[in-house]
Amino acid sequence: MGKVMSTADAIGKFVHDGEFLFIGGYVCRPPFAAIHEIIRQKKKDLTITRSNAADDFDMLIGAGCVKRFIATFISLGVYGLARCYRRSIEKGIPHKIELEEYTNLSLPLMLMAGAMGMPFVPVKDMVGTDLMNVRSFMGDGKYKMIESPFDGSPVMLAPALHPDVAIIHVQQADEDGNAQMWGIGGDCKWGANAARRVIVSCERIVSRETIGKDPSRTIVPAFKVAAVTEEPFGAHPGYTPGFYDMDLAYGYLYKEASNTVEGFQAFLDEWVFGVKDRTEYVQRYIQKFGFAQYKKLQAKFDYGYPVSYTY
Amino acid sequence: MSNHPNDYIKPELMACCGAREIRDGDIVIVGTGFPTMSANIARYTHATHATLMQESGVFDARPARPALSVGDPCLNPGAAMIGGLTDVMGMFLQGGWVDVGFLAGSQIDRYGNINTTAIGDYAKPKSRLPGSGGANPIGALAKRVLIIALHNTRSLAEKVDFITTPGYLDGPGARERWGLPPETGPQVIITNKAVLRFDKETKEAYLESYHPGTSVDEVVKLTPWELKVSDDVHETEPPRAEEIRVIREVIDPHRMITIYEKRGYV
Repeated sequence: MGKVMSTADAIGKFVHDGEFLFIGGYVCRPPFAAIHEIIRQKKKDLTITRSNAADDFDMLIGAGCVKRFIATFISLGVYGLARCYRRSIEKGIPHKIELEEYTNLSLPLMLMAGAMGMPFVPVKDMVGTDLMNVRSFMGDGKYKMIESPFDGSPVMLAPALHPDVAIIHVQQADEDGNAQMWGIGGDCKWGANAARRVIVSCERIVSRETIGKDPSRTIVPAFKVAAVTEEPFGAHPGYTPGFYDMDLAYGYLYKEASNTVEGFQAFLDEWVFGVKDRTEYVQRYIQKFGFAQYKKLQAKFDYGYPVSYTY
Repeated sequence: MSNHPNDYIKPELMACCGAREIRDGDIVIVGTGFPTMSANIARYTHATHATLMQESGVFDARPARPALSVGDPCLNPGAAMIGGLTDVMGMFLQGGWVDVGFLAGSQIDRYGNINTTAIGDYAKPKSRLPGSGGANPIGALAKRVLIIALHNTRSLAEKVDFITTPGYLDGPGARERWGLPPETGPQVIITNKAVLRFDKETKEAYLESYHPGTSVDEVVKLTPWELKVSDDVHETEPPRAEEIRVIREVIDPHRMITIYEKRGYV
């Protein structure tokens, strides 16, 4: 059976209530088309993770989809603290999520360990700080301190992570799911490869032959991929290198809206529940802000030497 | 033009204080704002062989404008290498290659411990902050850490509510006890009023220099712990003409640095 499907089908089929999701992105390539679909389908009790979370995680938390968050950091970037996240933690709105906190070194290494089949990984950070003193749903399993069997020095071990599903947005993939990404990677490659199944959202579906013209860019191989969805502009208001810029004006709208529960709800009504899919979202964007603004975000091209693998 | 022009703003002075801590050839891990500004001033003046990296996976970016985040699109085209977090935070930082890290925080104590997690009780915080991100590993593993802070009795604290990022923890010997790499830790706290440097023996921050327009007394008053004062305490050297030229003509022609004035860095 083919893997190419709509985002609605991919989320409906492969994301279940209560599952553990890795969601890729790092300012670049947040899989927003999938995020909106998770909210539309009212998924709940999810555990979510990635290093440096942003507006996409804030939105999932505000929409009530999240029970647990394996976190390192979350903010709205230039627009400061993440509003829904704060309301959840400080006031329990819509409910208080449970947090397990790591760092941008330890969490990517835990995902790497998951991808590599390593049971745990030694990390050199976190020691001596209050990050050791707060444990939540992972309890004693958050980390262990041991004496190095080699030289007796204190070493922290952090457990491997195995998400049920990874959702990533990349530049291009073929119909089987060979996924190619370039530009700032964050923890996307490890997160995707640590997961039991992967949903690849992409700007464009290309042929297997095109993938073969530059195979070093593939970060997830087809055999790990459950679904491929083609979602142009799918990371907006984040950016995708080579396709479009981040949209700071829209980011400001989200910040302003998410200042209040009512504003956040109205934002969801307009941009998530008010459209049936990403195509309608893009249409609404163009209707509201004009085609010129949409065009302005599109990337210019600047090529180097073409890559050749021939011999 | 005098060698020290008078028309500088406080954030420019602070960026220059940061730049002067950077040595030629240093590998510097930066965030946005002050850190990038400082590292670039250094690169265009006395440390032309310093190179920058961002935790998101970028080495030696050549952005056409100041980056707004460490994931900013402008960091992609022109960089020498782009990978991911395990490349920069793992291979380079944990691998022991990073000379200088820059950090800021909502609360900083006399040992340079930083809180970016929560104000108040962790379980029921008055204000929930973003969390560690890359700060904890940078504070743990970069050889020299430079800290940027607002100088008041809220941002500086006798004791932080939550140690997100290790400075010298509870004092001499603590980093070593936890197995953090030898010869690492915070060097200075650069504030809008002064430069505080960490004493090599006591690991406590003391007053090294006060910025023009303030005084030892004022700085001591604005510091919530009993601030020790260096025997050689002096006025901070204002930005040099060349540093100002680099800031305004090369690094930040659109004057994005002025947003720090609005954030209280005056």
